[in-house]
Amino acid sequence: MEPSGPPVRADLEDVFRAAYARVVGVAARVLGTRDEAEDVAQEVFLSFGRTAVPAAEAPGWLSVAAAHTALNHLRSGRRRAAREGQAGDGLAVSPDVADAVVTRDEHRRVRAALARLPRKHAVALVLRHSGLSYAEVAATLGLSPGSVGTTVRRAESALREELNRHASSSD
Amino acid sequence: MRRHPTDGTLRRLLDEPAGVADADREHVAGCPVCLSGLAAARADAAVAADALSTEVTADVDAAWQRLTAGAAAVPPAVQVAPPRRARWRAALRSPVIAAAGVVALLAGAGAAAAADWLPIFRTERIAPVTLTQADLVALPDLSAYGDLRVSSEPNVRPVAGASTAAQLTGLTVPRVGELPRGVTGEPTYQVGDRVTAVYTFSAAKAAQTATAAGETLPTPPPGLDGSQFRLTAGPGMAAVWTEARGVPALVVARAVAPAAYSSGVPFATARDYLLKLPGLPADVAAQLRAFSGDGTTLPLPVNSRYLTSSAAKVGGKPATVLTSRDGALAGVVWADAGVINAVAGSLSADEVLSVARELR
Repeated sequence: MEPSGPPVRADLEDVFRAAYARVVGVAARVLGTRDEAEDVAQEVFLSFGRTAVPAAEAPGWLSVAAAHTALNHLRSGRRRAAREGQAGDGLAVSPDVADAVVTRDEHRRVRAALARLPRKHAVALVLRHSGLSYAEVAATLGLSPGSVGTTVRRAESALREELNRHASSSD
Repeated sequence: MRRHPTDGTLRRLLDEPAGVADADREHVAGCPVCLSGLAAARADAAVAADALSTEVTADVDAAWQRLTAGAAAVPPAVQVAPPRRARWRAALRSPVIAAAGVVALLAGAGAAAAADWLPIFRTERIAPVTLTQADLVALPDLSAYGDLRVSSEPNVRPVAGASTAAQLTGLTVPRVGELPRGVTGEPTYQVGDRVTAVYTFSAAKAAQTATAAGETLPTPPPGLDGSQFRLTAGPGMAAVWTEARGVPALVVARAVAPAAYSSGVPFATARDYLLKLPGLPADVAAQLRAFSGDGTTLPLPVNSRYLTSSAAKVGGKPATVLTSRDGALAGVVWADAGVINAVAGSLSADEVLSVARELR
């Protein structure tokens, strides 16, 4: 019988402590809320704990996993929207940061725009803005470093267009 | 005059100027067009940075406790499972892997996203969790040897149920005999339309590509220059079983096989000629050889670093079993009477084969 208990990887705790903040950061960029980002991080580390991904590749694996998982969460947007509506302010990105200028409505638009981007573009965009280098994004997405710039550029352009379109349509 | 660097190069210049060639940097500094492009890239990057900004502070200790407590609080049904089962059960929680499987099946073996699978030939390095349709269905980078025009996109979308899927695709919906353990409930259905593209061989382009590779283009067969080939795939459908957390756990897909048609020079002639072209990696060439162009076989270039493949039979037909090296994903793909079938999930090879063989 499989003993119940913590995940199976011996190095899980080390990897977890080293990468947790980064994984939450990646997910939070997509989801905008800390609670959801932490849920995603739990999912990601549970998955990671059962893989044989070499420790050296863990940061990249975890970042991509966080981006994909968070983007998957966006898809179940209706449920989220309902919950946000009930919770009043589900957008507790940084309640104590006074200079958070992005409004809740803007966050919603950002999420909607991310959900509409081609998945690879969205992931590259989020990873780049999470601080991964071009080489890291290239390695984790199987792109050449040269095409990372192109992918990120397209994603940013599309994001700006989506945000403008929605901004003007809601005015 | 040196040509303008790409938008991607301009974008990288903002973040990692050291990663951009000196010649490109110098060009940009003195080029009004590029400086304007750079300014636009900077503005868009700033919008994105603002939109994606976040200042989350994470409590690592609390999160670690939650993870370990969560693992201990797995439902009893899972705890009593044998070790191997527990491992697969764990794999079911891997949304990335399962989602990648879905993408591969829908866009690859299923309704092939022509824009992706037709031009892709480069044996790009693929990270373990970003298996794309390019891994499962790949053809030469035909754009280096001609022009490719995609005339209809797959438009993969969810539909209400099995009967709608059947109606929209004209395919029989595969019925799964017994679900693997850990997979429960009713599937959701997705369909993709038929994809078509027209590829026109260009001897001039091919010569250019050959020259770039430092080689001479072998003489094309008579009539090949300017010949058009119509490439099609789909329609297709997939039944997707999703785990409680929204994770696809099992995907059963079926699609009309990719095929190539020609009004002039036979596709096989073009294929055999393409195989002789300089710069074609040997493993990819081998896969291309398997592409008959009549929908009876499917080229499956396998990135051996991340996937292993083996042969099996499903319903008497030859099948290819793919397993990710980390053991988290398995899939089996086979062709039967012009229809490609695929079963994949966060399951073992035995489990996907068992589902495949019991499809009705």
